[in-house]
Amino acid sequence: MAKREKVAVKICVGTACFVQGGADLLLYDEFLDPIVLANCEIEGVSCLGKCKEAGSKEGAPFVQIGDVVHGDMTEKKFCDLVAEAVHA
Amino acid sequence: MLEINNQYNHIRAKVQTEVLKQFFGDTLEQDVDKIPFYIIPKERVPARCCIYKERAMIRYRIMAMLGINIEEDDDEMKSLSEYVKEVLEKDTPPVPILTTISTACSACPPDRYLISDACRGCFARPCLANCPKDCISFTNGKAHIDESRCIRCGKCEGVCPFHAVVHIPVPCEQACPVDAVKKNEEGYVEIDYKKCISCGRCATSCPFGAIVERSGLIPVVKMLKSKEHVTAMIAPAIEGQFPGTLSQIKSALLASGFSSVVEVSQGAETTSVHEAAELGQRKEEKLGYMTTSCCPAYMELVDKHIPFLSEKRSSALSPMAYTALWCKEQNKDTKTVFISPCLAKKVEAARMKSVDGVMTFVELASLFLAKGIDVREMEGSDLGDTSLFEDCREFALSSGVASSVLRRVENPEEVAVLSIDGIDKRMFRSMKIWEKRPPEADLVEVMCCEGGCISGPGTVVKPSVAKRLRGGNNATTPVKSMRTPIVRG
Ligand code: SF4
Ligand code: FES
Repeated sequence: MAKREKVAVKICVGTACFVQGGADLLLYDEFLDPIVLANCEIEGVSCLGKCKEAGSKEGAPFVQIGDVVHGDMTEKKFCDLVAEAVHA
Repeated sequence: MLEINNQYNHIRAKVQTEVLKQFFGDTLEQDVDKIPFYIIPKERVPARCCIYKERAMIRYRIMAMLGINIEEDDDEMKSLSEYVKEVLEKDTPPVPILTTISTACSACPPDRYLISDACRGCFARPCLANCPKDCISFTNGKAHIDESRCIRCGKCEGVCPFHAVVHIPVPCEQACPVDAVKKNEEGYVEIDYKKCISCGRCATSCPFGAIVERSGLIPVVKMLKSKEHVTAMIAPAIEGQFPGTLSQIKSALLASGFSSVVEVSQGAETTSVHEAAELGQRKEEKLGYMTTSCCPAYMELVDKHIPFLSEKRSSALSPMAYTALWCKEQNKDTKTVFISPCLAKKVEAARMKSVDGVMTFVELASLFLAKGIDVREMEGSDLGDTSLFEDCREFALSSGVASSVLRRVENPEEVAVLSIDGIDKRMFRSMKIWEKRPPEADLVEVMCCEGGCISGPGTVVKPSVAKRLRGGNNATTPVKSMRTPIVRG
């Protein structure tokens, strides 16, 4: 397999995301599959601006995976989406 | 205890934020009755039986947030707006600190043990051999429990090699260390406040959210709005609850309308000094062990259930009390608001003249959201000279109180310490024996919550996360800090 770039995962650690479940995602070491983990680059970022969008369907916490921002993030959704991005 | 991040907590945060937004926008009285509809829209897929029940529940959440005693003052004919009007006019301390919502309570069947299909009717039959009440019988090659004789000891559950015995608890009853939660004749939850020590365990254990805390938030936000001088007294556990350093949290508080911010670790220092001196004296007089006195749920436990310990606990006031007195000394007109993860502190505060309000970290989070304040973006404020009491920020962690005290005694190596890390039913029982068999220690540190205040019922983040974000600038780079080991200063 050709060496690929790691998937960029950005966990929003702005206050709105952090206090509404985002902080739990910081435990990703515990719940993310180690192979998936090895293939992504996870970092924390400031408010992605999504929490302030009026009328948006999704709510905090937000995480950006690659170029897409996903909301209502849970541990499970996080694992699924990151794995999907890594295996794509 | 339930995970912090669950559906119930999410909705609660949403409700709180919305109420606060309306409050600061001066539309609360007018619009509060719309909140249930806004939070639970027609399209929602309900998690309870239907959206109508969910809306009714939101109504109760709002009432709890207004500090109303739902058991006594629930009048279905009364609109939320009328309640708001009353609450805005008159402050009443939210004591007792809990209130139950019988409509939410699922009237869980009594705690029991059941044999599941996993039973293979094995030859050894350890359940049969170990049941002290002979209530296991075998029919069709499977074990059965005679409920009328079962004393719920759980022995069979422990010995079955196939894990075929399931224990179906009543979460609130199981969580309560002092058996203060009971079911009434209809099977709905009731709290015996004569026994309750306000620890909050039941509230965090109920998966239906039927036990809720009565908030003291409205009196606090009223102070903030009235432009009085309000001092935020922040408990040591606050570090790690928000994505920013202590000095950024201070700025965020100032931006939310507080006039000044004082660390309660300062009062914790006074507590430690006092306890250190008292410990020395007691040792000299050979009075035996001394317990700490900063945990308010423990104080209630002693007052209500283990009176002989009242001589054993230190006479030091709590860090909150010393801090509040200090604040009033600096400025006698300031209103003091204690911000912590603790519910029992509300009881202590209600007894004290020097504390004017209390709020939890969860409530503070909602205040930040309602005001659109991002702690992470705040420019840090100067915390002043903290060198004297910095080490007492450890009061938030189990065994941190004892170490702060030890650092202030003359011969720390001669002090034997026992730390009681969490009071559950078992621990309560062991503590009762201390009268006859005193613990072999000089200093007994008592924390009602396992892990210390960072596991309190009013926290925002899990203790395992909070711990790593504490200290220095750790909270500004949360992802990185989670990967670096904890260095305790
Ligand atoms: S003692 Fe704790 S668990 Fe028991 S009823 Fe009171 S708050 Fe709930
Ligand atoms: S705080 Fe995460 S999007 Fe704003």
